[in-house]
Amino acid sequence: MTDAVALHVENLAAGYGPVRCLDGVTLSVASGTVTAVLGANGAGKTSLLRTISGLLKPRGGRVQLHGHDIVGLPVEGIVRRGMAHVPEGRGVIAELTVEENLRLGALWRGDREEAAASLSDAYARFEPLRERAHQPAATLSGGERQMLSIARALMGRPSVLLLDEPSLGLAPLVASRLMALVRDLAATTGLAVLLVEQNARSALAIADFGVVLSLGRTVASGDPARLAADDSLRHAYLGF
Amino acid sequence: MTASDTPTSGSEVVTEFVNLTLGGISSGAVYASVALALVLIWRATRIVNFAQGGMLMFTTFIAYEVIQHTGSYWFGFVVALASGFVLGALVERMLIRPVEGGPPLNAVIVTLGLLIFLEALAGMLFGGQLKSFPPAFSIRGFDVGGTRYAFAPSDTFTVLSVFGVALALGLVFRYTSLGLKMRASAFAPEVARLLGVRVGRLLTLGWALAAVAGSLAGVLVAPSVFLGPDQFDGVLIYGFVAAVIGGLDSPLGAVVGGIGLGLVLSYVSGYDSSSSVTLAALIVLMAVLMIRPGGIFSTTSVRRV
Repeated sequence: MTDAVALHVENLAAGYGPVRCLDGVTLSVASGTVTAVLGANGAGKTSLLRTISGLLKPRGGRVQLHGHDIVGLPVEGIVRRGMAHVPEGRGVIAELTVEENLRLGALWRGDREEAAASLSDAYARFEPLRERAHQPAATLSGGERQMLSIARALMGRPSVLLLDEPSLGLAPLVASRLMALVRDLAATTGLAVLLVEQNARSALAIADFGVVLSLGRTVASGDPARLAADDSLRHAYLGF
Repeated sequence: MTASDTPTSGSEVVTEFVNLTLGGISSGAVYASVALALVLIWRATRIVNFAQGGMLMFTTFIAYEVIQHTGSYWFGFVVALASGFVLGALVERMLIRPVEGGPPLNAVIVTLGLLIFLEALAGMLFGGQLKSFPPAFSIRGFDVGGTRYAFAPSDTFTVLSVFGVALALGLVFRYTSLGLKMRASAFAPEVARLLGVRVGRLLTLGWALAAVAGSLAGVLVAPSVFLGPDQFDGVLIYGFVAAVIGGLDSPLGAVVGGIGLGLVLSYVSGYDSSSSVTLAALIVLMAVLMIRPGGIFSTTSVRRV
């Protein structure tokens, strides 16, 4: 675990047609830490992740992965440099089995032994997936799907993980376990996590750093405890 | 049924039934191969490739020229499949990719345009006169216990090669990493890209493999329909019906749909008349769509979960 900056985003701008969804966002995520990105619907949280992982072309600014510019690289190329993005809605492929979903995450590495090792790691960390290995992913519950999507993202042994609203639709208890898992993952594996959440309170509770977006701009950032204690910020943007 | 071809003895009735069944399986295998070509592309890109009939016609012409010049059927056969592979890849890269992401109708119109273009180009290059295409093996029916059946060694080859290709594709899809990547790209292209799958390359490969299945159908059916720029329109239509019956989404459905349609059309042609065949295909299609609107092997309901 190091304090090196794994992901650095500077003055990032993006949009769809005439609509601007990101307007100069700057943030950094160090290895082994969690940065929470908060804000209301339409604040640009999902667009931020999509622009970082290359799904959405930026209109300006830069994105660096371990000091290398990645803007303009294809999504598949960014994945090969250590980025994993668990999209909104989890992206579990319902038609494939649990194990096929997992294997898919390691295929680009092209190494059977490493893939097999990643698979046993995944089952060790996420026990319930092992029992369901050969069932279609469509049969999983919401919590299990979220588990699968994170386990699958880890199959590629990423150094940066982007998580888009992982707790969406989960029961409170399951959501809080998930947050603890994210915290634990970053601390034990040195993964840099950029976590987008609607549930600001639970995200700030596990984050090392917080960023609040509104209409594509950063309106506040800093220590999560300080953000959570700021009444005006809570009322205006965080909704708790 | 007319009096002249009414079977009189019991054994003739059996022989006729066996002939119609075997003939149905043989022509059904060709429909299955075309259906497979359409299904593979539909699964991967949600495009109905109307150009498939033109593409398989063109590669069959290429095979014909190769056979004429080299005298080797098998060389022509391999060239047909190889040129199908290349043509499929080129069509995806040059014509389909630029319209991808636009309204789906755009791509469909591109494939229709390509069909017309290929038929016109074939007429210019190879002439409009019908050519007879050699079969792989003898078309003289098997003789079993003194009864000669209409099923010939060339039909055996048709059925086995289509089953072989379908089985090979099925095994690749089900059990290999390449197949897993292709299925993932078809079901969820964006998720696949986020997992490092090079979806663009796999789409090209998917079109190429689909065109191989189409080209196979072309060489197999050419001896019985003769070779000409628009001689394969019927095969395309029956292949399309077979694909829709099977659910458009399922390679297994394409094979079952193709064989099933071949059997029905063969019985209709034998017991009624060959002029009723097109109508029968339409009735089968409508009946299946009324009972199971998504086709027999449809997975649409599963996907909505």
